[in-house]
Amino acid sequence: MSEFRKLTLAYIGLLALLALTVGSSFLALGGFNSALNLVIAAAKTAVIAILFMHLASDGVLPRLAVAAAGFWLMILFGLTLIGQ
Amino acid sequence: MKSPTTSIAFDRPARETAADSFAMWVLIGSEVMLFGAILLVFMFARLSYGDAFAGAAKHLSLPLGTANTVVLITSSFAMALAHMYTAARRWRAAGWALAATALLGVVFLAIKATEYAREFSEGLAPVLGAPFIYKGPDPVHAEFFFGLYFAMTSLHALHLICGVIVIGGILALWPRTIEASRFRRVQAIGLYWHFVDIVWVFLFPVLYLINR
Repeated sequence: MSEFRKLTLAYIGLLALLALTVGSSFLALGGFNSALNLVIAAAKTAVIAILFMHLASDGVLPRLAVAAAGFWLMILFGLTLIGQ
Repeated sequence: MKSPTTSIAFDRPARETAADSFAMWVLIGSEVMLFGAILLVFMFARLSYGDAFAGAAKHLSLPLGTANTVVLITSSFAMALAHMYTAARRWRAAGWALAATALLGVVFLAIKATEYAREFSEGLAPVLGAPFIYKGPDPVHAEFFFGLYFAMTSLHALHLICGVIVIGGILALWPRTIEASRFRRVQAIGLYWHFVDIVWVFLFPVLYLINR
């Protein structure tokens, strides 16, 4: 698949996910609304990181930086949640 | 890239490009800590004062927030095209894609400014000494919501302003920049720009879509 086609599909996918997240917010799903919003945000992040930022194809170093950030975030959120 | 390295520190252009991208990803990692900490504060406040936050969030403009999300996603697409054209050495197309990215960034900021103006006029902006007038239930925690809203969105807008300025600088120097440097610059600003887009991808549902 050509690069242009790939980027265009990613763009359309991001808009579709946006429509999904806005649309789902009008349905009364209780606590699942927030969970669904976060799942969709994570999916959008994956599309941007992999297709726009070339995270998967730029070697191991970028993935290392992302893993480190993820690990520190886990400590930040994890220890705060334990304190509750 | 067949061009030579721009720094004598690297023996091959590929290593220089890898070092550039690693440095940008480390910067993004540190930015994740900054925005992550603020999001954590928001998350806990939302868990503690859910009703007040849900009530306050209804005063934000969903159409403007959604429009801004579309604008920012489109700007990221334009930036991805700029990177693609730069890699293919299609410099004119790359320049136009960069200009489109910056322009969409300005459109985002203009829409955000419209929202801010509306919130200030409605007395919903407890910042810069402006009065906070809120008729809904639990005004104390609603004020907390709007304080966090302004902190998070203005920090994000500040990042976007920096991005627009840097793209402007890259474009101004474009004709005088050697090809290898053009690629390095577009790769670096591209990673930064996409990250700022990702921050908004989280801010939008967290702020605008609470129990609609």
